[in-house]
Amino acid sequence: MSEIGGARRTEDAPGRNAFVYRPTASPQDAAYWSPRQVAMTNLRTVVGRAYPRVSGLFREKSWVFFEILLPFLATSAFVFVYRALQAPPQYIGFVVIGGAMTAFWLNVIWMMAQQLWWEKSQGNLELYFAAPMHIMAVLFGMAVGGFVMSSARAAAVLVIATTLFGVTFAIDQWLLLIGVFLLTLAALYGLGMVLASLFLMWGREAWHLTQLLVEPVYFVSGLNFPVGRLGVLGSVAISILPLAVGLDAMRQLAFADAAYPAGTPSPAVEAAILAGMVVVFLLAARWALATLERRARQEGRLSVRWQ
Amino acid sequence: MTVEPAVRPDAAGLAAPAWGGFDAARTRGGGAADLRRSFLTAARLGWQMEANWTDPVLFFIYSVAKPLASALILVVMLDVISGGAKPQYRAFVVVGSALWSFVLSGVSGLAWMILDDRERYRMLKYIYVSPSDFLTVIFGRGVARIGVGAMGAAITLAVGVAVLGVPFDVARIDWLLLMAVMVLGVGSILAIGLLLAAICMQTRQESWSYPEAAAGALFLISGVVFPLSVLPQAVQAVGLLTPLTWWIEGIRHALFPGGVSAIGGSGSLYEQLTGAAAPGSGEIVLALLASGAVATLAAVAVFRASDRRAKDRGLFDRTTGS
Repeated sequence: MSEIGGARRTEDAPGRNAFVYRPTASPQDAAYWSPRQVAMTNLRTVVGRAYPRVSGLFREKSWVFFEILLPFLATSAFVFVYRALQAPPQYIGFVVIGGAMTAFWLNVIWMMAQQLWWEKSQGNLELYFAAPMHIMAVLFGMAVGGFVMSSARAAAVLVIATTLFGVTFAIDQWLLLIGVFLLTLAALYGLGMVLASLFLMWGREAWHLTQLLVEPVYFVSGLNFPVGRLGVLGSVAISILPLAVGLDAMRQLAFADAAYPAGTPSPAVEAAILAGMVVVFLLAARWALATLERRARQEGRLSVRWQ
Repeated sequence: MTVEPAVRPDAAGLAAPAWGGFDAARTRGGGAADLRRSFLTAARLGWQMEANWTDPVLFFIYSVAKPLASALILVVMLDVISGGAKPQYRAFVVVGSALWSFVLSGVSGLAWMILDDRERYRMLKYIYVSPSDFLTVIFGRGVARIGVGAMGAAITLAVGVAVLGVPFDVARIDWLLLMAVMVLGVGSILAIGLLLAAICMQTRQESWSYPEAAAGALFLISGVVFPLSVLPQAVQAVGLLTPLTWWIEGIRHALFPGGVSAIGGSGSLYEQLTGAAAPGSGEIVLALLASGAVATLAAVAVFRASDRRAKDRGLFDRTTGS
């Protein structure tokens, strides 16, 4: 090991990481990275991009109040609507599950879909594209960090509401329920990656479209009621919106003892739909990002702000 | 070689006092005329930021979709359980959710102005040091969002009457009460918005969702979509102290006289305290006036404290990210 120009050089461990000096015969050789180096750099990118979101949880204490307690109260409002209507107890459970899942949806649209556009406005996007990493790794890091943030909120809503409102779950198929939950998250964050590319192209409209994706999506996803009640609209939602199909499957599995309104597929079929969505959204995100990067480089729009 | 004069004739007014060019009165501003100009400029800027990002058709859809979807969620919840057997309750939830979009836009408009200009456009520090009154600029920018919210609320009500079967008779509207509660209610909404703007001055980028989260909490205790009587009594008491509860009750009372009351009703705290089944127009206006005044004073006090702290700690110049 030697120190040259203040930089640490490890000649006896070439390929260990991207920052270690490697004597090469030509610039082309220097530009070549082994698959291991590429994988390790992308892995570091994931960790690095997830880090501010996870560490931010502990740095801004007001987050606990505004992101956990207050949204829980909003969920409670819908519970009281059902109580005022003297609805069957499982409907209160439907609201609680819906309230927990909103944490992920809000995270996907606010902190995934909008993020690349936001980074462009902040002047970071050109750095992302210039850095030797895959942009999918950045998005994946955002998703991981966002998942940790949202999980805290979702768990709090689920636990507090279940305790406070006396919701009783009847679960026969734990594995399928966990599988559906994970598939829903994968599909949601995959959709977030696709939207991130689209929003970047749309520019300032993205900000407003984000808001357009809250209540209308809640409605067509059946956030507080079984989506099957929406008829054809509900069927369309199940086929394109991970939140709709995931919520419906989780409700069927979490309240196996209750009479569930007919009109939607079984949980197993919905799990298959979710798996299909994961594949489609991830492929679409990869294609959209590649297209976007090419267009952005050609048109020089990576550093254009506030459009 | 020409010697540059010490003070150019066209800049005489900007010259230093020693040269006789500085007018101390200029630093005091133009009073009401300046405030009006600042407000109108901020309102115009706010409206352009809200509306010029797309064509009018998409903007209209955007403005209406959110409140309409909120109302539809509640209407479907109602129909799922009652099967359309409670038409008076349908009017109750449609009016409540329509008015709530107005509240949301008013509350978030002021807070988002702070976040927009600090985090996104990074202009807050310049606005703050400009000769315009800071509070006036905040209100001006918030007005545009309130306008969008008012449009969404009005259209949701119209759809409720035309499509969702909400019973409505123009001849029965109590216009005097409607005017009184609208004026007092908008003042209260702006006060709550100012309070959140003060909070957002102290927090970081993630506070985009704070206004909606706060509004979500108020949604629970303000009798927006269900009568307060279903809540525990302690929570009902908090609800009765909130101006939004009285504002919504007043609007319902003015537009749908004799409809379901969110405050009164069998087993409600209000009934236990007063012995009356539901509040009358006079009580509603008085309660709204009192609770609104308290909210306004509290908001101004918190805003001033936040303003001082933000100046002290350089928060107007801070941008964050995650």
